Amino acid sequence: MRADGLLAMLDRWGRLALPGTVLLFFVLLTLAPLRAPYLSGALPLLPALAVFQFSLATPERLPGPLLLAMGILLDLLLGGPGAPVGVSALGFVLIRAAVVNNRRYLVGVPFLFQWFGFCLLAWGFVVLVWFFTALWTWTAIDPVPAMMQYVVVVVIYPLLAPLLARVRARDPLNVPDESRGTARPGETTS
Amino acid sequence: MAIRDDFEVAAGQVRAVVQRFALGLLVLAAFGAMLVGKADTVLVEHARVLALDLASPVLEAIARPAAAANRAIADLKEFASLREENARLREENARLLAWQTAARRLENENERLRGLANFREGPEASFITARIVGDSVSAYVRGALLNVGRRGGVASGQAVVTGEGLAGRIAEVGENSARVLFVTDVNSRLPVLIERTRERAILAGDNSPQLRLTLLQSVAGVQRGDRIVTSGHGGSFPVGIPIGEVVETGEGSVRVRPFADFSRLEFVRVVDYGVTGLVGGGPTVPAPPAGVRIR
Repeated sequence: MRADGLLAMLDRWGRLALPGTVLLFFVLLTLAPLRAPYLSGALPLLPALAVFQFSLATPERLPGPLLLAMGILLDLLLGGPGAPVGVSALGFVLIRAAVVNNRRYLVGVPFLFQWFGFCLLAWGFVVLVWFFTALWTWTAIDPVPAMMQYVVVVVIYPLLAPLLARVRARDPLNVPDESRGTARPGETTS
Repeated sequence: MAIRDDFEVAAGQVRAVVQRFALGLLVLAAFGAMLVGKADTVLVEHARVLALDLASPVLEAIARPAAAANRAIADLKEFASLREENARLREENARLLAWQTAARRLENENERLRGLANFREGPEASFITARIVGDSVSAYVRGALLNVGRRGGVASGQAVVTGEGLAGRIAEVGENSARVLFVTDVNSRLPVLIERTRERAILAGDNSPQLRLTLLQSVAGVQRGDRIVTSGHGGSFPVGIPIGEVVETGEGSVRVRPFADFSRLEFVRVVDYGVTGLVGGGPTVPAPPAGVRIR
């Protein structure tokens, strides 16, 4: 950790704040009145995509309590009457835990594996939200719109993921030579 | 050396335990939030309103460029069918002129009859025009966020209309924001009249583009093309706002297509009827001056 210069400090702060900011942006974007036919239906799943992608890259910059807060904010903003507040938070926390515990299958592997991992986890997320919303409102909610959301977000994952992945910190598997060895034991990112 | 290794192993174990514990705690917190939300709906309502108020300035900033882009796309689409559209409009114009004549005659007649019968009209409605700054459309909700709130005279339960017909009702009100629940939402239930037969019914949404008409005394009386209007029962809505028309009559289920086009809403009007009725919100609603205000 060098503590030199204003720019370096800004850079460090920016890096620290970026995942949270992007997540907040996606949470707010869920409400944006974009009237693109299929895309707007999938907006509510974009925060989950961001959580997945940043948990791959820099999980320590997306701590659990932040995810909890963001999930609750998303539910507050999006939720209709009677919808459970906190179910997205639960989903985010579980996605992060699943990614962090399976890093060796998801980091430094071909993109298709990551996509497959996202398919599985997003499926879990959609089912979780659907189940709790149905349980809380005690109505049989038509699952087809939720499935459509899922399909669209899985299809747009390859478009968004590389963009988000540009903020990825260096993983031990792709650390440039000059900085290899500076990582302390147990540290996974620079 | 061995001691240090042992220490590191132990520290690693402690860290692992803490991490596992942290996940459990977070999951518990999420469940806690859900349970609190179920138990204390008032608290959640306040939290929602607060979140809306905080988010609405940001959303407004996003909404304007988005609306411009949407309009550009719609313009392009319309350009392709300009000639047909023109012909259709000319035809419609001729038909509407005929209706206008009829309406003028009826208005005059009505006026005279009212005078004869000493009829007292219901409270005058005033309108508050609002911009839609956010969609809350997902797999589970059909609604939108408006950029006016309590300060603009909006109160919970008021009707929200477009040029074509009823869009929904105000579900939550913040200081400078409000959430509309569209008639297509699964939680929406409206007392309505079938305009032709004056029969009462309940119009319910189910999150699909079409509405379901239920609790009819006789389903047989409904025909395709019948207009459905608000009945004013419950006192929160003005009488006779058009909602939609019947498109499908089947065994015990009548489907209604709403007139409002929810995919292209940009501005709506909140109808302040002066009566907040059963679904009315807080008692401290300031009475706004009559007339149309645009924000």
